[in-house]
Amino acid sequence: MRRSRIPFYLLVGMLVFLYLPLIIVIVNSFNMSRYGGQWGGFTLKWYSRLFSDRTIWYALGNSLLIALTSTVTSMVLGTTAAIALYRFKTRLQSAHRLFIHLPLVMPDILVGISLLLFFVALKVRLGLFTIYLAHVTFCISYVAMVVLGRLQDFNYAVIEAAMDLGASWPAAIRKVMIPMITPGIMAGGLLAFTLSIDDFVITFFVSGPGSATLPLYIYSMIRHGSPMVINALTGIFIVFTFTVVTISKKLLEEK
Amino acid sequence: MMKRILSILAIMTAVAGISCSRQKELHVFIWADYMNNDVITAFEKNENCRVVMDFFDSNEALYAKVKAGATGYDLYICSSYMVNIMNDQKMLQSIDLWKLKNIGNIDPEYLKISLDPAMSHSVPYMMSFAGIAYNTEKVKNFVPTWGMLDRSDLKGRITLLNDLRETIGAALKFNGCNYNSLNPAELDKARQTVLRWKKNIAKFDVDEAKRGLEAGEFFLIHTYNGDALQIISQNPKIAFAVPREGTSISVDDMVIPTSAVNADLAYRFIDHLLDPEVCSKNMEYISYLAPNLAAQKIMPKDFMQNPAVLPSKEILKKSDILKDLGADNATYSKIWDEIKSAE
Repeated sequence: MRRSRIPFYLLVGMLVFLYLPLIIVIVNSFNMSRYGGQWGGFTLKWYSRLFSDRTIWYALGNSLLIALTSTVTSMVLGTTAAIALYRFKTRLQSAHRLFIHLPLVMPDILVGISLLLFFVALKVRLGLFTIYLAHVTFCISYVAMVVLGRLQDFNYAVIEAAMDLGASWPAAIRKVMIPMITPGIMAGGLLAFTLSIDDFVITFFVSGPGSATLPLYIYSMIRHGSPMVINALTGIFIVFTFTVVTISKKLLEEK
Repeated sequence: MMKRILSILAIMTAVAGISCSRQKELHVFIWADYMNNDVITAFEKNENCRVVMDFFDSNEALYAKVKAGATGYDLYICSSYMVNIMNDQKMLQSIDLWKLKNIGNIDPEYLKISLDPAMSHSVPYMMSFAGIAYNTEKVKNFVPTWGMLDRSDLKGRITLLNDLRETIGAALKFNGCNYNSLNPAELDKARQTVLRWKKNIAKFDVDEAKRGLEAGEFFLIHTYNGDALQIISQNPKIAFAVPREGTSISVDDMVIPTSAVNADLAYRFIDHLLDPEVCSKNMEYISYLAPNLAAQKIMPKDFMQNPAVLPSKEILKKSDILKDLGADNATYSKIWDEIKSAE
Protein backbone atom coordinates (compact mmCIF):
# COMPACT_ATOMS: atom_id res chain seq x y z
CA MET A 1 0.00 0.00 0.00
CA ARG A 2 1.31 3.44 -0.90
CA ARG A 3 1.53 5.88 1.90
CA SER A 4 -0.32 9.16 1.56
CA ARG A 5 1.78 12.08 0.42
CA ILE A 6 -0.34 14.65 2.27
CA PRO A 7 1.61 14.58 5.57
CA PHE A 8 4.79 15.26 3.64
CA TYR A 9 3.33 18.30 1.87
CA LEU A 10 1.94 19.54 5.16
CA LEU A 11 5.36 19.23 6.75
CA VAL A 12 7.05 21.11 3.92
CA GLY A 13 4.37 23.81 4.05
CA MET A 14 4.79 24.24 7.79
CA LEU A 15 8.59 24.42 7.55
CA VAL A 16 8.38 27.05 4.82
CA PHE A 17 5.88 29.04 6.84
CA LEU A 18 8.09 28.93 9.93
CA TYR A 19 11.53 29.40 8.43
CA LEU A 20 11.11 31.41 5.22
CA PRO A 21 10.56 34.71 7.10
CA LEU A 22 13.75 34.07 9.08
CA ILE A 23 15.69 33.37 5.90
CA ILE A 24 14.33 36.55 4.30
CA VAL A 25 15.48 38.58 7.30
CA ILE A 26 18.97 37.08 7.15
CA VAL A 27 19.27 37.59 3.38
CA ASN A 28 18.04 41.18 3.74
CA SER A 29 20.65 41.92 6.37
CA PHE A 30 23.21 41.73 3.54
CA ASN A 31 21.09 43.89 1.25
CA MET A 32 22.48 47.29 0.27
CA SER A 33 19.02 48.76 -0.24
CA ARG A 34 17.62 50.34 2.89
CA TYR A 35 14.05 49.16 2.60
CA GLY A 36 14.70 45.63 1.44
CA GLY A 37 12.14 45.90 -1.36
CA GLN A 38 14.74 45.32 -4.02
CA TRP A 39 18.11 43.62 -4.00
CA GLY A 40 20.63 46.47 -4.08
CA GLY A 41 23.85 44.45 -3.88
CA PHE A 42 25.81 42.67 -1.16
CA THR A 43 27.04 44.66 1.81
CA LEU A 44 28.30 44.23 5.35
CA LYS A 45 27.64 47.84 6.32
CA TRP A 46 24.61 47.00 8.50
CA TYR A 47 26.79 44.63 10.51
CA SER A 48 29.48 47.27 10.94
CA ARG A 49 26.86 49.80 12.04
CA LEU A 50 25.50 47.24 14.45
CA PHE A 51 28.91 46.63 16.01
CA SER A 52 29.63 50.33 16.37
CA ASP A 53 26.35 51.09 18.16
CA ARG A 54 27.20 51.02 21.84
CA THR A 55 23.57 51.35 22.97
CA ILE A 56 22.56 48.08 21.32
CA TRP A 57 25.22 46.16 23.20
CA TYR A 58 24.35 47.83 26.46
CA ALA A 59 20.68 46.91 25.92
CA LEU A 60 21.61 43.35 24.98
CA GLY A 61 23.63 43.04 28.20
CA ASN A 62 20.62 44.21 30.22
CA SER A 63 18.34 41.77 28.41
CA LEU A 64 20.62 38.78 29.00
CA LEU A 65 21.21 39.67 32.65
CA ILE A 66 17.49 39.92 33.32
CA ALA A 67 16.60 36.82 31.32
CA LEU A 68 19.22 34.70 33.10
CA THR A 69 18.44 35.85 36.64
CA SER A 70 14.67 35.75 36.25
CA THR A 71 14.89 32.29 34.62
CA VAL A 72 16.90 30.82 37.48
CA THR A 73 14.64 32.36 40.12
CA SER A 74 11.44 31.30 38.44
CA MET A 75 12.79 27.76 37.91
CA VAL A 76 13.24 27.40 41.67
CA LEU A 77 9.97 29.10 42.66
CA GLY A 78 7.95 27.56 39.83
CA THR A 79 9.11 24.03 40.67
CA THR A 80 8.26 24.38 44.36
CA ALA A 81 4.87 25.79 43.38
CA ALA A 82 4.24 22.83 41.07
CA ILE A 83 5.26 20.29 43.72
CA ALA A 84 2.92 21.92 46.23
CA LEU A 85 0.05 21.89 43.74
CA TYR A 86 0.75 18.24 42.92
CA ARG A 87 1.11 17.02 46.48
CA PHE A 88 -1.66 18.85 48.36
CA LYS A 89 -5.31 19.15 47.44
CA THR A 90 -6.51 21.59 50.10
CA ARG A 91 -8.70 24.66 49.59
CA LEU A 92 -5.60 26.85 50.02
CA GLN A 93 -4.02 25.03 47.09
CA SER A 94 -6.98 25.67 44.81
CA ALA A 95 -6.55 29.39 45.51
CA HIS A 96 -2.85 28.90 44.82
CA ARG A 97 -3.69 27.21 41.50
CA LEU A 98 -5.80 30.20 40.54
CA PHE A 99 -2.99 32.63 41.33
CA ILE A 100 -0.54 30.58 39.27
CA HIS A 101 -2.94 30.59 36.32
CA LEU A 102 -3.81 34.29 36.44
CA PRO A 103 -0.61 35.75 34.91
CA LEU A 104 -1.09 33.45 31.91
CA VAL A 105 -4.41 35.02 30.98
CA MET A 106 -3.98 38.61 32.14
CA PRO A 107 -3.26 41.09 29.35
CA ASP A 108 0.34 42.32 29.45
CA ILE A 109 -0.65 45.95 29.43
CA LEU A 110 -2.71 45.47 32.61
CA VAL A 111 0.11 43.65 34.36
CA GLY A 112 2.59 46.29 33.24
CA ILE A 113 0.67 49.35 34.33
CA SER A 114 -0.45 47.84 37.65
CA LEU A 115 3.09 46.76 38.50
CA LEU A 116 4.27 50.27 37.67
CA LEU A 117 1.64 51.83 39.95
CA PHE A 118 2.57 49.32 42.64
CA PHE A 119 6.29 50.09 42.46
CA VAL A 120 5.61 53.81 42.40
CA ALA A 121 3.35 53.52 45.47
CA LEU A 122 6.06 51.58 47.32
CA LYS A 123 8.64 54.15 46.18
CA VAL A 124 10.84 51.42 44.69
CA ARG A 125 13.39 52.89 42.31
CA LEU A 126 12.54 51.69 38.79
CA GLY A 127 15.35 49.89 37.04
CA LEU A 128 16.80 46.47 36.34
CA PHE A 129 15.59 45.17 39.70
CA THR A 130 11.94 46.04 39.03
CA ILE A 131 12.15 44.48 35.56
CA TYR A 132 13.59 41.37 37.18
CA LEU A 133 10.72 41.18 39.68
CA ALA A 134 8.13 41.69 36.96
CA HIS A 135 9.66 38.99 34.77
CA VAL A 136 9.82 36.53 37.65
CA THR A 137 6.10 37.11 38.29
CA PHE A 138 5.04 35.91 34.88
CA CYS A 139 7.82 33.35 34.37
CA ILE A 140 6.87 31.43 37.56
CA SER A 141 3.51 30.57 36.04
CA TYR A 142 4.99 29.13 32.86
CA VAL A 143 7.59 27.06 34.72
CA ALA A 144 4.96 25.81 37.17
CA MET A 145 2.64 24.78 34.32
CA VAL A 146 5.32 22.84 32.47
CA VAL A 147 6.60 21.12 35.61
CA LEU A 148 3.05 20.29 36.68
CA GLY A 149 2.50 18.65 33.31
CA ARG A 150 5.57 16.53 33.88
CA LEU A 151 4.34 15.60 37.38
CA GLN A 152 1.05 14.22 36.01
CA ASP A 153 3.05 11.22 34.75
CA PHE A 154 4.99 10.92 37.96
CA ASN A 155 4.27 7.84 40.00
CA TYR A 156 4.05 8.84 43.65
CA ALA A 157 4.68 5.24 44.73
CA VAL A 158 8.36 5.88 43.98
CA ILE A 159 8.49 8.47 46.75
CA GLU A 160 6.71 6.11 49.13
CA ALA A 161 9.20 3.40 48.26
CA ALA A 162 12.09 5.77 48.97
CA MET A 163 10.57 6.69 52.32
CA ASP A 164 10.05 3.01 53.17
CA LEU A 165 13.74 2.55 52.55
CA GLY A 166 14.50 5.23 55.14
CA ALA A 167 14.63 8.49 53.21
CA SER A 168 13.08 11.50 54.88
CA TRP A 169 10.47 13.38 52.84
CA PRO A 170 12.81 16.24 51.85
CA ALA A 171 15.52 13.76 50.91
CA ALA A 172 13.08 11.75 48.80
CA ILE A 173 12.03 14.90 47.01
CA ARG A 174 15.61 16.03 46.47
CA LYS A 175 17.15 12.71 45.48
CA VAL A 176 14.24 11.04 43.69
CA MET A 177 11.59 13.42 42.49
CA ILE A 178 13.75 16.35 41.36
CA PRO A 179 16.09 14.27 39.17
CA MET A 180 13.09 12.60 37.56
CA ILE A 181 11.35 15.85 36.67
CA THR A 182 14.53 17.70 35.65
CA PRO A 183 13.64 17.64 31.92
CA GLY A 184 10.39 19.42 32.79
CA ILE A 185 12.19 22.02 34.87
CA MET A 186 14.68 22.61 32.06
CA ALA A 187 11.90 22.95 29.47
CA GLY A 188 10.09 25.41 31.73
CA GLY A 189 13.31 27.34 32.20
CA LEU A 190 13.89 27.57 28.44
CA LEU A 191 10.33 28.80 27.97
CA ALA A 192 10.79 31.39 30.72
CA PHE A 193 14.07 32.53 29.16
CA THR A 194 12.55 33.12 25.73
CA LEU A 195 9.54 34.90 27.21
CA SER A 196 11.72 37.12 29.35
CA ILE A 197 14.18 38.04 26.64
CA ASP A 198 11.54 39.30 24.22
CA ASP A 199 8.97 40.82 26.54
CA PHE A 200 8.14 44.36 25.54
CA VAL A 201 4.92 45.65 27.08
CA ILE A 202 5.50 44.82 30.75
CA THR A 203 9.18 45.73 30.53
CA PHE A 204 8.41 49.15 29.07
CA PHE A 205 6.32 50.12 32.05
CA VAL A 206 8.53 48.80 34.84
CA SER A 207 11.88 49.83 33.36
CA GLY A 208 13.62 52.82 34.83
CA PRO A 209 16.43 55.16 33.86
CA GLY A 210 19.37 53.26 32.39
CA SER A 211 17.66 49.89 32.11
CA ALA A 212 16.63 49.80 28.45
CA THR A 213 16.45 46.21 27.21
CA LEU A 214 16.91 45.05 23.65
CA PRO A 215 13.18 44.79 22.77
CA LEU A 216 12.63 48.36 24.04
CA TYR A 217 15.45 49.62 21.86
CA ILE A 218 14.39 47.71 18.76
CA TYR A 219 10.77 48.76 19.10
CA SER A 220 11.70 52.39 19.48
CA MET A 221 13.96 52.24 16.42
CA ILE A 222 10.89 51.82 14.23
CA ARG A 223 10.35 55.56 14.24
CA HIS A 224 13.80 56.94 13.36
CA GLY A 225 16.21 54.03 13.23
CA SER A 226 17.38 51.70 10.54
CA PRO A 227 15.40 48.47 10.11
CA MET A 228 18.39 46.94 8.35
CA VAL A 229 20.52 47.10 11.50
CA ILE A 230 17.78 45.14 13.21
CA ASN A 231 17.94 42.57 10.41
CA ALA A 232 21.65 42.17 11.06
CA LEU A 233 21.04 41.76 14.78
CA THR A 234 18.33 39.18 14.08
CA GLY A 235 20.72 37.31 11.84
CA ILE A 236 23.30 37.06 14.60
CA PHE A 237 20.64 36.07 17.11
CA ILE A 238 19.29 33.27 14.93
CA VAL A 239 22.75 31.82 14.30
CA PHE A 240 23.50 32.09 18.04
CA THR A 241 20.24 30.34 19.04
CA PHE A 242 20.75 27.52 16.54
CA THR A 243 24.29 26.95 17.81
CA VAL A 244 23.18 26.83 21.43
CA VAL A 245 20.34 24.43 20.64
CA THR A 246 22.61 22.14 18.62
CA ILE A 247 25.28 22.08 21.32
CA SER A 248 22.79 21.41 24.11
CA LYS A 249 21.26 18.58 22.07
CA LYS A 250 24.72 17.07 21.53
CA LEU A 251 25.43 17.27 25.26
CA LEU A 252 22.13 15.59 26.14
CA GLU A 253 22.73 12.77 23.65
CA GLU A 254 26.16 12.03 25.07
CA LYS A 255 24.67 11.48 28.52
CA MET B 1 26.04 23.60 40.47
CA MET B 2 23.38 25.67 42.24
CA LYS B 3 26.03 27.30 44.42
CA ARG B 4 28.06 28.26 41.41
CA ILE B 5 25.08 29.88 39.70
CA LEU B 6 24.24 31.79 42.87
CA SER B 7 27.77 33.08 43.25
CA ILE B 8 27.82 34.20 39.62
CA LEU B 9 24.55 36.05 40.24
CA ALA B 10 25.96 37.69 43.35
CA ILE B 11 28.99 38.90 41.42
CA MET B 12 26.80 40.21 38.60
CA THR B 13 24.62 42.25 40.96
CA ALA B 14 27.69 43.56 42.72
CA VAL B 15 29.23 44.67 39.42
CA ALA B 16 25.94 46.28 38.37
CA GLY B 17 25.80 48.09 41.70
CA ILE B 18 29.31 49.48 41.37
CA SER B 19 28.98 50.55 37.77
CA CYS B 20 25.80 52.57 38.35
CA SER B 21 27.17 55.01 40.90
CA ARG B 22 30.08 57.48 41.34
CA GLN B 23 29.80 59.73 38.25
CA LYS B 24 27.05 62.27 37.67
CA GLU B 25 24.40 60.84 35.40
CA LEU B 26 22.01 62.45 32.96
CA HIS B 27 18.97 60.36 32.07
CA VAL B 28 17.42 61.13 28.72
CA PHE B 29 14.11 59.67 27.51
CA ILE B 30 14.12 59.80 23.71
CA TRP B 31 13.32 57.97 20.45
CA ALA B 32 15.95 55.34 19.60
CA ASP B 33 18.70 56.24 17.11
CA TYR B 34 17.72 59.92 17.21
CA MET B 35 21.03 61.49 18.22
CA ASN B 36 24.59 61.28 16.96
CA ASN B 37 26.71 59.19 19.35
CA ASP B 38 29.75 61.47 18.92
CA VAL B 39 27.70 64.35 20.29
CA ILE B 40 26.90 62.38 23.44
CA THR B 41 30.48 61.23 23.93
CA ALA B 42 31.75 64.81 23.60
CA PHE B 43 29.31 66.00 26.27
CA GLU B 44 30.33 63.18 28.60
CA LYS B 45 33.97 64.17 28.24
CA ASN B 46 33.36 67.91 28.79
CA GLU B 47 31.17 67.45 31.83
CA ASN B 48 32.80 64.33 33.23
CA CYS B 49 29.41 62.65 33.47
CA ARG B 50 27.55 59.74 31.96
CA VAL B 51 24.58 60.14 29.63
CA VAL B 52 22.12 57.27 29.87
CA MET B 53 19.49 57.00 27.16
CA ASP B 54 16.13 55.32 27.54
CA PHE B 55 13.62 54.81 24.79
CA PHE B 56 9.90 54.92 24.15
CA ASP B 57 8.09 53.79 21.03
CA SER B 58 5.25 56.32 20.93
CA ASN B 59 4.41 59.63 22.56
CA GLU B 60 1.38 58.00 24.14
CA ALA B 61 3.45 55.26 25.77
CA LEU B 62 5.79 57.88 27.21
CA TYR B 63 2.83 59.81 28.57
CA ALA B 64 1.17 56.74 30.10
CA LYS B 65 4.38 55.79 31.81
CA VAL B 66 5.39 59.13 33.30
CA LYS B 67 1.80 60.02 34.18
CA ALA B 68 1.62 56.81 36.24
CA GLY B 69 4.55 58.11 38.25
CA ALA B 70 7.73 56.77 36.65
CA THR B 71 10.54 59.12 37.62
CA GLY B 72 14.29 59.41 37.31
CA TYR B 73 14.49 61.06 33.89
CA ASP B 74 16.06 64.48 33.53
CA LEU B 75 15.11 65.26 29.96
CA TYR B 76 12.43 64.09 27.51
CA ILE B 77 12.67 64.59 23.77
CA CYS B 78 9.20 64.02 22.32
CA SER B 79 6.67 65.54 19.93
CA SER B 80 5.37 69.01 20.65
CA TYR B 81 1.69 68.07 20.77
CA MET B 82 2.53 65.75 23.67
CA VAL B 83 4.65 68.47 25.28
CA ASN B 84 1.53 70.63 25.11
CA ILE B 85 -0.52 68.01 26.98
CA MET B 86 2.17 67.41 29.59
CA ASN B 87 2.51 71.14 30.18
CA ASP B 88 -1.24 71.46 30.72
CA GLN B 89 -0.92 68.75 33.34
CA LYS B 90 1.88 70.65 35.09
CA MET B 91 4.37 67.86 34.46
CA LEU B 92 7.12 70.10 33.08
CA GLN B 93 9.48 72.67 34.58
CA SER B 94 9.48 76.12 33.10
CA ILE B 95 12.67 76.81 31.19
CA ASP B 96 14.99 79.52 32.43
CA LEU B 97 16.27 80.88 29.13
CA TRP B 98 19.13 82.73 30.88
CA LYS B 99 20.79 79.40 31.57
CA LEU B 100 21.04 78.64 27.85
CA LYS B 101 23.68 80.78 26.22
CA ASN B 102 23.03 79.27 22.78
CA ILE B 103 19.29 79.93 22.85
CA GLY B 104 19.70 82.86 20.44
CA ASN B 105 20.40 80.35 17.64
CA ILE B 106 16.76 79.31 17.47
CA ASP B 107 15.03 80.53 14.31
CA PRO B 108 12.55 83.33 15.25
CA GLU B 109 10.52 82.55 12.12
CA TYR B 110 9.97 79.03 13.43
CA LEU B 111 8.90 80.33 16.85
CA LYS B 112 6.03 82.24 15.24
CA ILE B 113 4.27 78.98 14.39
CA SER B 114 5.47 77.05 17.45
CA LEU B 115 3.01 75.77 20.08
CA ASP B 116 5.28 77.36 22.68
CA PRO B 117 6.47 80.57 21.00
CA ALA B 118 8.06 82.01 24.15
CA MET B 119 9.94 78.75 24.87
CA SER B 120 8.53 78.93 28.38
CA HIS B 121 8.66 75.15 28.92
CA SER B 122 10.25 73.62 25.81
CA VAL B 123 13.15 74.08 23.42
CA PRO B 124 12.80 72.70 19.87
CA TYR B 125 15.15 69.86 18.86
CA MET B 126 14.31 68.75 15.32
CA MET B 127 11.44 69.36 12.95
CA SER B 128 9.97 67.33 10.15
CA PHE B 129 7.09 67.85 7.80
CA ALA B 130 4.87 65.99 5.40
CA GLY B 131 4.94 66.43 1.64
CA ILE B 132 4.89 64.58 -1.64
CA ALA B 133 7.58 62.21 -2.88
CA TYR B 134 7.33 61.23 -6.53
CA ASN B 135 9.05 59.35 -9.31
CA THR B 136 10.43 61.98 -11.71
CA GLU B 137 10.34 59.59 -14.69
CA LYS B 138 6.72 58.58 -14.30
CA VAL B 139 5.10 61.83 -13.18
CA LYS B 140 4.99 64.40 -16.00
CA ASN B 141 4.52 68.15 -15.40
CA PHE B 142 4.82 67.93 -11.65
CA VAL B 143 3.35 70.91 -9.80
CA PRO B 144 3.98 71.20 -6.06
CA THR B 145 0.39 71.21 -4.84
CA TRP B 146 -1.97 68.89 -2.99
CA GLY B 147 -3.99 69.03 -6.21
CA MET B 148 -1.62 66.36 -7.62
CA LEU B 149 -3.75 63.84 -5.73
CA ASP B 150 -6.56 64.58 -8.19
CA ARG B 151 -4.50 63.80 -11.30
CA SER B 152 -6.35 61.10 -13.22
CA ASP B 153 -3.25 60.00 -15.19
CA LEU B 154 -1.75 58.72 -11.90
CA LYS B 155 -4.87 56.81 -10.89
CA GLY B 156 -4.06 53.79 -8.73
CA ARG B 157 -0.40 54.83 -8.38
CA ILE B 158 -0.82 57.26 -5.48
CA THR B 159 -0.84 56.63 -1.74
CA LEU B 160 -1.98 58.86 1.10
CA LEU B 161 -0.73 58.59 4.68
CA ASN B 162 -2.81 56.25 6.80
CA ASP B 163 -3.08 58.92 9.48
CA LEU B 164 -6.28 60.81 10.09
CA ARG B 165 -4.76 64.13 11.10
CA GLU B 166 -2.27 64.18 8.22
CA THR B 167 -4.70 63.21 5.49
CA ILE B 168 -7.76 65.20 6.57
CA GLY B 169 -5.34 68.05 7.29
CA ALA B 170 -3.89 67.92 3.78
CA ALA B 171 -7.41 68.26 2.40
CA LEU B 172 -8.10 71.16 4.75
CA LYS B 173 -4.91 72.88 3.58
CA PHE B 174 -5.80 72.17 -0.07
CA ASN B 175 -9.04 74.08 0.59
CA GLY B 176 -7.12 76.91 2.26
CA CYS B 177 -7.91 76.05 5.89
CA ASN B 178 -5.86 75.29 8.99
CA TYR B 179 -4.64 71.77 9.90
CA ASN B 180 -6.22 72.15 13.35
CA SER B 181 -9.56 73.44 12.05
CA LEU B 182 -12.70 72.65 14.05
CA ASN B 183 -15.12 74.52 11.77
CA PRO B 184 -17.83 71.99 10.71
CA ALA B 185 -18.26 73.49 7.24
CA GLU B 186 -14.51 73.36 6.55
CA LEU B 187 -14.28 69.82 7.89
CA ASP B 188 -17.18 68.68 5.74
CA LYS B 189 -15.55 70.15 2.65
CA ALA B 190 -12.29 68.42 3.57
CA ARG B 191 -14.13 65.13 3.99
CA GLN B 192 -15.51 65.45 0.47
CA THR B 193 -12.04 66.26 -0.86
CA VAL B 194 -10.52 63.17 0.75
CA LEU B 195 -13.41 61.05 -0.55
CA ARG B 196 -12.66 62.32 -4.07
CA TRP B 197 -8.94 61.57 -3.59
CA LYS B 198 -9.78 58.12 -2.27
CA LYS B 199 -11.26 57.19 -5.66
CA ASN B 200 -7.99 58.16 -7.33
CA ILE B 201 -5.45 56.56 -4.99
CA ALA B 202 -4.26 53.01 -4.45
CA LYS B 203 -4.44 53.00 -0.65
CA PHE B 204 -3.84 54.70 2.67
CA ASP B 205 -0.48 53.52 3.89
CA VAL B 206 2.71 54.50 5.70
CA ASP B 207 5.50 51.95 5.32
CA GLU B 208 4.54 49.81 2.31
CA ALA B 209 4.20 53.02 0.28
CA LYS B 210 7.91 53.83 0.73
CA ARG B 211 8.95 50.41 -0.50
CA GLY B 212 6.44 50.70 -3.35
CA LEU B 213 7.77 54.06 -4.47
CA GLU B 214 11.34 52.81 -4.49
CA ALA B 215 10.40 49.66 -6.39
CA GLY B 216 8.30 51.55 -8.94
CA GLU B 217 4.90 50.26 -7.89
CA PHE B 218 3.69 53.70 -6.79
CA PHE B 219 4.51 56.96 -8.57
CA LEU B 220 3.51 59.54 -6.00
CA ILE B 221 3.19 59.16 -2.24
CA HIS B 222 2.21 61.37 0.67
CA THR B 223 5.08 60.94 3.15
CA TYR B 224 7.40 62.60 5.65
CA ASN B 225 10.54 64.42 4.56
CA GLY B 226 12.95 62.26 6.58
CA ASP B 227 11.61 59.12 4.93
CA ALA B 228 11.72 60.78 1.52
CA LEU B 229 15.42 61.66 2.02
CA GLN B 230 16.21 58.04 2.71
CA ILE B 231 14.34 56.84 -0.37
CA ILE B 232 16.11 59.47 -2.49
CA SER B 233 19.51 58.27 -1.26
CA GLN B 234 18.57 54.82 -2.58
CA ASN B 235 16.91 55.84 -5.79
CA PRO B 236 17.93 59.17 -7.40
CA LYS B 237 14.86 59.12 -9.67
CA ILE B 238 12.73 60.05 -6.66
CA ALA B 239 12.17 63.69 -5.74
CA PHE B 240 10.36 65.43 -2.91
CA ALA B 241 8.28 68.59 -2.84
CA VAL B 242 6.32 70.52 -0.27
CA PRO B 243 2.90 71.58 -1.60
CA ARG B 244 2.68 75.34 -2.10
CA GLU B 245 -0.54 75.51 -0.05
CA GLY B 246 1.48 74.60 3.06
CA THR B 247 1.86 71.42 5.06
CA SER B 248 1.93 69.95 8.55
CA ILE B 249 5.01 70.36 10.68
CA SER B 250 5.91 68.14 13.59
CA VAL B 251 8.55 69.13 16.05
CA ASP B 252 10.31 67.19 18.74
CA ASP B 253 10.97 69.34 21.77
CA MET B 254 13.41 69.09 24.65
CA VAL B 255 11.66 69.42 28.00
CA ILE B 256 12.68 69.03 31.63
CA PRO B 257 10.12 67.16 33.77
CA THR B 258 9.26 68.45 37.24
CA SER B 259 10.65 65.20 38.64
CA ALA B 260 14.12 65.76 37.15
CA VAL B 261 16.96 64.96 39.54
CA ASN B 262 19.71 66.66 37.64
CA ALA B 263 18.03 69.67 36.07
CA ASP B 264 21.30 71.66 35.90
CA LEU B 265 22.97 68.96 33.87
CA ALA B 266 19.89 68.80 31.65
CA TYR B 267 20.22 72.54 31.00
CA ARG B 268 23.85 72.08 30.04
CA PHE B 269 22.91 69.20 27.74
CA ILE B 270 20.22 71.29 26.01
CA ASP B 271 22.75 74.10 25.62
CA HIS B 272 25.25 71.62 24.20
CA LEU B 273 22.68 70.42 21.64
CA LEU B 274 21.99 74.03 20.63
CA ASP B 275 25.67 74.62 19.88
CA PRO B 276 25.98 75.15 16.10
CA GLU B 277 28.73 72.52 15.59
CA VAL B 278 26.93 69.91 17.67
CA CYS B 279 23.55 70.64 16.16
CA SER B 280 24.88 70.35 12.61
CA LYS B 281 26.40 66.96 13.45
CA ASN B 282 22.99 65.81 14.65
CA MET B 283 21.27 67.11 11.53
CA GLU B 284 23.72 65.25 9.35
CA TYR B 285 23.21 62.05 11.31
CA ILE B 286 19.41 61.93 11.38
CA SER B 287 18.69 64.02 8.24
CA TYR B 288 16.14 66.25 9.92
CA LEU B 289 16.24 70.02 10.11
CA ALA B 290 16.81 71.75 13.42
CA PRO B 291 15.31 75.25 13.71
CA ASN B 292 18.80 76.50 14.61
CA LEU B 293 20.01 79.33 12.35
CA ALA B 294 23.68 79.24 13.40
CA ALA B 295 23.84 75.50 12.74
CA GLN B 296 22.01 75.80 9.43
CA LYS B 297 24.70 78.28 8.29
CA ILE B 298 27.50 75.74 8.61
CA MET B 299 25.61 72.86 6.99
CA PRO B 300 26.73 71.87 3.48
CA LYS B 301 24.95 73.77 0.70
CA ASP B 302 23.35 70.73 -0.91
CA PHE B 303 21.80 69.74 2.40
CA MET B 304 20.18 73.14 2.92
CA GLN B 305 19.03 73.58 -0.68
CA ASN B 306 17.27 70.26 -0.67
CA PRO B 307 13.50 70.80 -0.60
CA ALA B 308 13.22 67.62 1.46
CA VAL B 309 15.19 69.30 4.22
CA LEU B 310 14.13 72.91 4.20
CA PRO B 311 10.78 74.19 2.96
CA SER B 312 10.90 77.77 1.73
CA LYS B 313 10.05 80.61 4.12
CA GLU B 314 6.74 81.33 2.36
CA ILE B 315 5.58 77.73 2.68
CA LEU B 316 6.73 77.56 6.29
CA LYS B 317 4.56 80.56 7.10
CA LYS B 318 1.50 78.87 5.65
CA SER B 319 2.14 75.59 7.49
CA ASP B 320 0.75 74.45 10.82
CA ILE B 321 1.96 72.38 13.73
CA LEU B 322 -0.45 69.58 14.57
CA LYS B 323 -2.02 70.25 17.94
CA ASP B 324 -3.71 67.76 20.19
CA LEU B 325 -7.41 68.60 20.03
CA GLY B 326 -8.42 66.92 23.27
CA ALA B 327 -12.11 66.04 23.23
CA ASP B 328 -12.43 67.30 19.67
CA ASN B 329 -10.25 64.45 18.42
CA ALA B 330 -13.52 62.53 18.22
CA THR B 331 -14.74 64.84 15.45
CA TYR B 332 -11.76 63.88 13.35
CA SER B 333 -12.11 60.18 14.14
CA LYS B 334 -15.74 60.27 13.03
CA ILE B 335 -14.84 61.87 9.69
CA TRP B 336 -11.99 59.39 9.26
CA ASP B 337 -14.33 56.46 9.89
CA GLU B 338 -16.72 57.78 7.25
CA ILE B 339 -13.86 58.13 4.78
CA LYS B 340 -12.45 54.67 5.49
CA SER B 341 -15.82 52.94 5.23
CA ALA B 342 -16.94 54.76 2.06
CA GLU B 343 -16.98 52.78 -1.16
